[in-house]
This record gives sequence, C-alpha cells and structure tokens, in this order.
Amino acid sequence: MCKGPGGFSLPEDSMALADLIIRAAKEADETEVYISSGRQISAELKRNLIGISSGGESLGIAIRIVKDNRIGASSTNNPGMWRECLDAAVESARFADTQEWGGMPGQAELKAGIHTHDPDFVISADCAEGLIEDLLCGADEYPSADVAGGGASLSYGEISIANTSGAGYSMKRTLASASLEAIREQSTGYEFDTTVNIRDLDPRKTGEKAAFLASESHGAGEIETGRYDVILSPLAASELVGGIVSSALSGKNLHAGRSYFDGKLGETVTDERLSIYDDPHSDSTGCSPFDADAVPTRVNRFISGGVLESFAYDMKTAYRYGEETTGNATRSGPGGAPAIGMHNLKIEGARGDQMAGRGVLVHSVVGAHTANPLTGDFSVELSNAFVVDDGTFEMPVRSAMLSGNVFSMLKETACLGTDDRNIGNMTFPSIRFNNLHIIGK
Amino acid sequence: MQEPRYYDIRHVRGSSTHIDIDNGVVESAGTSFFDTALIRVLGNKGWGIYSVDNFDPESGSLDRILEDATALASITREEVELAPVKQATIKMPPCTDSPLDLDMEEKTSMLSAVEKAAKIPGIGNTRAQYSESSKTVSFDDSCGNEFDYAMTRNGFSILAVASGNGSMQMGRERYHTITGFSLKGHEDLGRKAAETAISLLDAGAAKGGRMNAVLDPELAGVFAHEAVGHASEGDLVKEGISVLKGHIGEEIGSPVVTVVDDPTLPEWGFMPVDDEGTAVERTMIIENGVLRNFMHSRETLAVVGDGIAGHARGEPGMVPVVRMSNTFIENGDSSFEEILAECKDGIYLKGSRGGQVDPGRGVFQFNAEYGYIIRDGECREMVRDVSLSGEIMQTLHGIVLAGDDLTLNAGFCGKSGQTMPVSDGSPHVLLKDAVVGGHV
Repeated sequence: MCKGPGGFSLPEDSMALADLIIRAAKEADETEVYISSGRQISAELKRNLIGISSGGESLGIAIRIVKDNRIGASSTNNPGMWRECLDAAVESARFADTQEWGGMPGQAELKAGIHTHDPDFVISADCAEGLIEDLLCGADEYPSADVAGGGASLSYGEISIANTSGAGYSMKRTLASASLEAIREQSTGYEFDTTVNIRDLDPRKTGEKAAFLASESHGAGEIETGRYDVILSPLAASELVGGIVSSALSGKNLHAGRSYFDGKLGETVTDERLSIYDDPHSDSTGCSPFDADAVPTRVNRFISGGVLESFAYDMKTAYRYGEETTGNATRSGPGGAPAIGMHNLKIEGARGDQMAGRGVLVHSVVGAHTANPLTGDFSVELSNAFVVDDGTFEMPVRSAMLSGNVFSMLKETACLGTDDRNIGNMTFPSIRFNNLHIIGK
Repeated sequence: MQEPRYYDIRHVRGSSTHIDIDNGVVESAGTSFFDTALIRVLGNKGWGIYSVDNFDPESGSLDRILEDATALASITREEVELAPVKQATIKMPPCTDSPLDLDMEEKTSMLSAVEKAAKIPGIGNTRAQYSESSKTVSFDDSCGNEFDYAMTRNGFSILAVASGNGSMQMGRERYHTITGFSLKGHEDLGRKAAETAISLLDAGAAKGGRMNAVLDPELAGVFAHEAVGHASEGDLVKEGISVLKGHIGEEIGSPVVTVVDDPTLPEWGFMPVDDEGTAVERTMIIENGVLRNFMHSRETLAVVGDGIAGHARGEPGMVPVVRMSNTFIENGDSSFEEILAECKDGIYLKGSRGGQVDPGRGVFQFNAEYGYIIRDGECREMVRDVSLSGEIMQTLHGIVLAGDDLTLNAGFCGKSGQTMPVSDGSPHVLLKDAVVGGHV
C-alpha cells in the first residue's frame, strides 16, 4: 500500500474519513463524501528519446450536503482541511435555490463483475519505459516518418463514496495509455490508446499507426469542392458525432431548452437501423458499477431503432423535473460536483464493410469543439484524410473542410463498420455517410 | 543516488469560487480549495518530475520526493540543458474592486442581474456562470532563486438561447479580468448575447468556398493565437512539429503583419514571472511579415535559440510547457471602412466559437459566431455557422490590410492536457482568398 500525500494512508483511510465527515456534518440534513486517491507514473518522448519521467500522488475530497432542499458543495485535496471544506459546503447551500429533493440513495446491490481495474497492474518507471520501447518499435515500420513525441502512462486510483442514507461504495481503477506523434516533412500523424488492462494495450500498433498516418499523408493532393461519400474513423466519429449527441441527450439541456431533441420524444430522430445507448457495464475506460451520485449504473437506451426513447439524468435534475435518475452522474460539474455525463456511449446499427466503394476516409478532424451543440451544424478541417476505393488508399487529401449537420447525417448513415474502439467515455465504430459536403480546392 | 544537476519546487495553494445560474435558478454557488506542488529534478540526462497534492514543505517529505524524482530521471535519455536566463518578478498590476472584498451574496445578485438582462422576448433559456480563482505561488530552486506571489482572476459568461422558425440559436458573451471585478458594470452583455441569438434565428447559412474575408478583432485574435502563436512555441519547433521551424529572419507574411506575445500587459494572460522563475518580457514573433522570435522555456531556448524564454507555464501540479500569454496582431493604419471597401465582395466574420491548429502540418480551423455577407463594400445580410480554415503560411501572406482598432479578448487555451488563461487580439484585418466553410 502506498503512503499518500501528507501522511494520509491510502486507501483504507478513505471510508474512515468519509464516516468522520458525515458524523461531523450536524448542520446538514444529508451529507455525501466522495474521496479519490491515486498515483501514476509516466514517461514522455521528446522526438525519439525519453525527456521527462514523472510520478505523482493525488487526493481529492468532495463534500456535498443538502439542507432545507438546498444543495451545497465544496472540495479540497488537503485531508487536514476537511472541516473548512465541510463549512464551505454548508455555506454554499445557503446560496443555492431550493429544489424538489427526494433524498440521497441508500445502499443497493451493484452489478457484479464490472471490470474497472487490472489486478496484475504494475506502476513502475521500467514498465513505462517498456511501453515507450514498443511504441518506437512500431513506428520503425515506417522509417520515412520521424517520431516527434509521445508518451506512456500508468495510473492506479481508488474512488470511495458514502452518504447519510447508508450508501458506501469503493472502486479501483487502473489505466494504461500510450500515444505517439509522427511527422514526415509537413505530414503529421497522431495515434493513442488507453485501456484498463495493461495486456490490452498494444503500443507497437499505436506507434505503427501514427507513423503510417504521417507517412501515407505525404504527397497529398487537392480535392475538388463537392459531395462525397465519407467514412469517419471511430476517432473522427466520436469527436464529431459523440459530443453533439451526448449534449442533446442530457436531461438538463432538455429541460433548459438547449437540446436539439426537445419535443422529439417518441419520434424517429435517426436512421431507423440506429440505436444509441450508454453501457457502463461493458469493458471500457469509463465503465463503473455506480455513478457520481452513488446510484447504481445501468444500461440506458436513448435511441432505439431510430426512435428517441429517453434522456440521461443525474439525481438532482431527475428530482427537479419529476424524472428518474438514469445513473448518469459524472464528476464533471464546477469544482468536481456531479453533473450529467455518459460513461460509455455506444452506437449500434447496420454493420457492413464501410470501406466498400469510393469515398473519403477521415481519420480525425480539426476543430470538432466548434460545432454548434444546439443545431448540430459544423464545419471542420480534415486531418489525415484519404481518397479511398474499396479499401485502397488512392490519394492523401492535403487540406479540405467537411461541413454538415450531425443530426441530418445520422438520418442517412450508409453503414457502421465492425472496428468499435473505446475512446474516453464512448465506444464508436467507423461510420460511412453518403453525400457529405467537402470544401476543397 | 546521483545528485541532481538542478531542482525546483512550485507550490500552488488557493481557492476557487463559482456561481451557476440557469434560467433564473441558482444551481450552485460555492468555494473549493486546492494545494498542489510540482517538484522537478534534472538528472544526468533529462527530467524526473513528481507532483504531490497537499504538499507540506516543513514535513521533511521533500528529501524523499527529490530521491524519487531523481530515480525517475534515470530512465530519461534526452540530454536536457537549461539556458541561463534573467530571473526576476514584475509587479502585479493594480487591482481596483477586488472580488475578494465582496461576499457571495453580492456576487450572486450581480450575476443574476446579467442573466435577467438577457431575458428579453424571444429568449427561451439563459445561463450565467461566474468563476473566480485566487492562488498563492511559492517557487524556489537549487540555485537559490525564490519568489512568492498572489493572484486573483475572475470572469463570467452569459449564454442566451433563442427559439423560433423551427430553429434554435445561441448568443454568448463573456468578460474576464485580473484588474477588477468582472461583473461590475457589465449587465449590458446579457442583453447583447440575447440580441445576437435572436438575430441569428433569421440568419441564413453561409455559402462555403474561397472568398475575401474581413475578420473582427476577436476572430483575428484567434487567428494570431491558433495559426501564428502555437507554431511559434519553442517546444513544437524543437520537436520538429512546427511549419515555422528554420524560417527565422525570413518573410513569412505580408508586411502589414506584426504579431507579439506580451506577458507583461495587464491583460488576462498576464504573469509576473513564468513558472520556472524566468523574467517575462514582450516577445516580437513576427515584425512586418518577418519571423523574428520563438517563445521559449529555458530548455527549448538552449536547444533552438532564436527567441525569448519566460513563456513556460503550468497548471498547479503540472509540468510547465511553452505557452502563450497575451498574443495579438499589432495595429495597422486602415480604417474599418477602408477594409470593407477593399474587400468589395466577401464575408465579414465576427466572434469566435474556438479554433484548433495542427502546427506541424500548418493547418488551422476556427469558427465564427456569425457573419455578414459583404457586397460592394457594404455589410449586408447576416449568416450563421461560418468557419475559416487554411494554411498558416498562405494565410499570413493573404492578410493585406490591418485596421487601427486593436482589442484584446480573454480566453482559455488547451495544450498538453492543461488549460491556461490567455488573451488574444487584433485590429480588423482583411484576408484575401480565404477558405470559408458554410452549409450551402
């Protein structure tokens, strides 16, 4: 067991500290304590040499209280300051408006067998160095590309949450990641991967893919402005489609009048073959048996067969609008407070050979965050795009913009590939779309 | 155990306060606390770095951390050298009306006033958010350099959503400052955001393609930041992923283009000293079209040269990397009317929804909040969802006129997993033959 920051022994002390805070919170009607602690080691490449090797210990304590139907919150990373943090949470509740509140959740049975950590995980500089060697080895497959940078990291964390209703859960999380950036003259390529199990990480493949992208993008040509069939890689699809769809599926955005799906419940909103759902139980870096409200997670089908069936809720939003929480609270609000988020958003539909026929294959896009979340309109620059024909790379595309509307696109998907890839809190396959607008030469 | 060649400790403590008002409801308002230190050790070759929450310099844990960091450094292979630099701290700009003197009640009621101002007919939803961060930075290194400073930042944003014509549009305004209280005297921004959202309901989609574009100071500032600034960061030049590498002294843009990064200005990107103790100074990146300087840390200056150190910045507990501060295109001498007349037919792009760059490829993209079609030198109908992309080098030659109305805007820049407060700005500029993304 590692010795944590400030002599705080991790993680056995977490539940004891949570109990101490809950008992001390006499002014509050209800109290919740969330404690995260962890350590990590990483190695960073500067060109093809390790330039930085770093380690660290982290600790976070977040306290949420409810008093007279007002919610207050605060956080600190100093366990010695928990009293000040508790006072700040109580003070914070004074300023929040009252809201409908039905109490914090009690202890429930959690879904068993969710794989959030790897028991064989070793956090050491040597292990990080080994991952780096594999990355470089993979990149060597394309000697025309130079390694510009990259890195590998290994982290272990433990999360504990407890509240006055008697819920108390803990979870271990391990993450291994590797990334590489390569360049051939002015053609760049970047690839990365993050996994729960160290054995699932394939740094050699990641390195090889980054070098391939830089190498294959060399000698790019212009394409004419026009309409093209476009294949978005799992990365491009999650960047462009995932963020916009997640925002529109938020129950908070729905009730605030900020969701494109407002008023469309029960309507067909996508291609009838598509289903979009959050699956916190299958293997992914976002999988979890309980959410940030200490509510057991569940699989939520938001869109089934093209029909909009439900929205994502956390406890606070659900109580306010008379809905049921869907276990979609994540620590993404101000000061690390819970807010609605996805654990592992997935898309299902007609699978096929997305590479069949002619099209423009897009590995990633530049500027996905500038898309309009209300309307779904976007225009982004392509990155590592290629004209392809039946899977053959015919020509790398030098510079072009893709513009369109995410929601219109989802009504006209040609097919989904079978190359599902977990990226953060989403797992997406390649998606082929017909007839999209590309602004080229 | 090898003795480190150098080490430094940057310990940051403080608190952050936020208020979130959504459609008239105070969703949350509170204060959180942070305390994080980063210890950097330069081993035989490269860096060994250790970050620790809740660091107590008196506890004797430093020796153990230095030892751990030195052990980490043993796997590094890159031979890191640090350039000698001037180490000094400049004075904090004077702050009138510090937010620290006001209580939460006053702040909440002032934010609420901004939000109410946005509630005009046609607006369905409004959201106002205030954030404030107050930190104390303590630095010392193995060469005996030591400094402490305290700094408070605050700002707010207001979002207004209009619905009608079967469509939804948004208007957003924000204001951030280090020299006063952001909410004081800015209720009008609520109404401005609302009016933009309502106007956009009737705006058409822009026709994409190559055309002349007039960029307003905010969007041209994003260009200065994304297209020029990032490619001039010494770490990207060092690692060979900047198109500007090897072009010092060359004419890379039109003579009207002068781009500066100046951390000493009392703007949102101000810092009294950088995060490795180096004195900050104004850095001329491009002077009349000629590339003059890169922005550096001590390490990148030693390798690359051709530039100025004092640009290393890190979030609390995170490794300092080369970052921008206040980045802007200098004033030219054209009036806005002259710029429109010279543009003749094209598009006027206003505001920013953000941008991104691939500095190695030299390609950037950013999105305007809205625009106007320019016909015969006059602004005509409003258009929505317009973006601009292009190649850095080509675009720098395409800027043919710069206005005389330089304005800086506060924002946040993400790089290496860290978010930094920056400002960027420009006068109005005319960009010939720009690639504009639209939807028709």
